[in-house]
Amino acid sequence: MFLSMCLDIAGAGPGGETISAFKQRAAAIEAAEPDVVILAAEGDDGAILPPKLEALVDSSWITGTLRTPCVVAGLPAGHAVPFHVARALSAVDFLSAGRVGWMPIATNGAEFDGAYGETRDDADLVARTDDFILATQALWDSWDEDALIIDKQSGEYLDSTKVRRVDYRGKFYSTMGPLNAARPPQGYPVLVRDVDTVSGAETKADIAIGTVASLAGDDAGIKLIRVDASDAAALADAKAAVAAGTANGLHLTGPAALDALTALRAEAAKPAASAKTARQSLGLDKPANAYVEGALS
Amino acid sequence: MSKEANGRVHLWAFLQGIGFFPGGWRDDKAQPASVFEREYYERVARMVDDACFDAIVFGDQLQGRDAAGRTPGRLAIPTLDPFSLLAAMGSVTKHVGLVATVSTTYAEPAEVAAKFASLNYVTDGRAGWNIVTTAHPNSSWNFGEDELLEKSLRYKRAAGFVDTASHHWQAAAGKAEGAYKNDWFEIENPLTMPTSPQERPVFVQAGQSEDGREFAASCAEAIFCPAPTIEAGKEFRDDMRRRAAEKGRNPDELIIMPGLAFVLGETEEAAKAKHERMIELADVPLCIEYLSESIGYDLTVHDPDGPIPIEEICATCEFPAGMIRGMLTPSVEAGKTLGEHCREYATKPRGHAIFVGTPEQMADRIETWIDAGACDGFTLQPGFMPNELELFCQQVVPLLQERGLLRKSYQGTTLRDHLGIAA
Repeated sequence: MFLSMCLDIAGAGPGGETISAFKQRAAAIEAAEPDVVILAAEGDDGAILPPKLEALVDSSWITGTLRTPCVVAGLPAGHAVPFHVARALSAVDFLSAGRVGWMPIATNGAEFDGAYGETRDDADLVARTDDFILATQALWDSWDEDALIIDKQSGEYLDSTKVRRVDYRGKFYSTMGPLNAARPPQGYPVLVRDVDTVSGAETKADIAIGTVASLAGDDAGIKLIRVDASDAAALADAKAAVAAGTANGLHLTGPAALDALTALRAEAAKPAASAKTARQSLGLDKPANAYVEGALS
Repeated sequence: MSKEANGRVHLWAFLQGIGFFPGGWRDDKAQPASVFEREYYERVARMVDDACFDAIVFGDQLQGRDAAGRTPGRLAIPTLDPFSLLAAMGSVTKHVGLVATVSTTYAEPAEVAAKFASLNYVTDGRAGWNIVTTAHPNSSWNFGEDELLEKSLRYKRAAGFVDTASHHWQAAAGKAEGAYKNDWFEIENPLTMPTSPQERPVFVQAGQSEDGREFAASCAEAIFCPAPTIEAGKEFRDDMRRRAAEKGRNPDELIIMPGLAFVLGETEEAAKAKHERMIELADVPLCIEYLSESIGYDLTVHDPDGPIPIEEICATCEFPAGMIRGMLTPSVEAGKTLGEHCREYATKPRGHAIFVGTPEQMADRIETWIDAGACDGFTLQPGFMPNELELFCQQVVPLLQERGLLRKSYQGTTLRDHLGIAA
């Protein structure tokens, strides 16, 4: 049973959570040993919202101390830019030795639309998010995993035939590449989706979060049931669903999430000690590079 | 905070990639593979923090390093996103400033404001923003655009961008609210983001053109620039101080930080020999790739011992052909081979000064420039990493501290404190 919860600063601006208080809270979560921490805010109903602390910066900073197997950066789905996201996540994947994930979040779009001065059509949002994901993944495919040589004697730094322009052209995003960043150690960081706000997506998520019903038709590698940790009956039902094989774990929400996580940790198996990357810890396949011959066969 | 105790020289560590020399990654003491690991950045950050530098600075670009689709095979191109590196370096330090280079041409103010607010928050106010407008023609292709915005428009957009980002930061600090608009941006609401003891990042600029100087004089608090000679440094600093004063600013709150690459040795001869080796490590195939990248044309298909194929280059190069023709013509007229020209190009200093000598001589040089009013400090570019930076921190820093030039301990906590400028 995998265990997940959100982490974001509790309040922003003057009178908001201080950095030392935030560090203490992160350390408490670390001590409870979740499998997945999603750097995102949480709505009263447990909905996952884009964070107040920007997650690309946060993920790079926090993975120095937070040893959680998978640390997921929550991104505003309507306004994130593939090139910027692809290279930042490449860096964080290297800096965290392969423990980063990413989650384009469609919820709370209006605040972002207003702040960016550009309104995204709700009807397009799922297609736009798919396109954003494909463009970002195409940029990761602009480098082969084994492109770097770094041989001081011969002077060969990389194999030029293993870095390429990808010329991705989608309905919403176009990007040429190559990315100015090497392919992430995990191939692609772990892709997380809230199926209750993004349904009908054509791209396949690695981790899906939703209800037993909304997760039923999803093809994600890992399914996590969103459950309010203070609702004992709901928690028992969710655990039973995981035990029955309907899902792979729980995404705990609400003020009781940390206590519930601590209690549940005792009964949930931990990832194998040999697991280094988030994909290894979660038992997820490493994606192939579409440009490498034989990789997709 | 005592101004005297804060020192007379500002030091920034410019840490993009593996160092200043294109072939430097091949030195015995270079650690090119470790630049992909967190431990390397943590170690370097602590070293710079212990040496009381103002800040760590990374440059940035928004395109791969390929020329006509071919990525160089012999250049140690930096591949980890600098903003992410600075966040990681901030996690293990308590004082040193963290200056990220971010373009205003291919981003939106809300996104950039949120990233700097977050870096400021997690580091208790140590962020700086080197504001650039992107000059490489290939960058636009990565953002779904065919062409770069024209230069003067890029600077106008930059000014509107900075003002809009500032609205977000003021709102986060509780000093502004609601909608905001200028000629370039119109927003309905600021984004929710954290604030910090340093409400916004320190503004840094690097433009040399008339547009760049005017923009810097209006908003920059520190300027990164080339200054090959003491006279050039003084001319630039005087000019920028005059421009800032004309805009009603206190010129003392504009810190001029020319680049200074360096190679250190126990003796002058040892330093010179090491410098020679750095240049030798850039072999002809590497130099050909280096120029290829600089003009956006793949020169590796041509014979290095043959003539410079100027007409073929100008027909398809990705940079403006007029500019490239002007750059190549003197070598063509002198009858240089392609290999000869590339080697000269890749091993010349590119506008920045290179110091080669002993730690004592380097301390003398720094003191001379400061006393002459040629700069307020230096943006140090180690010949290669991390060894040259280590030598500087171990051998030059104590000399500067003994002479009362460099602070012996940090006198404040924010980057603005270290620069000695008001909030």
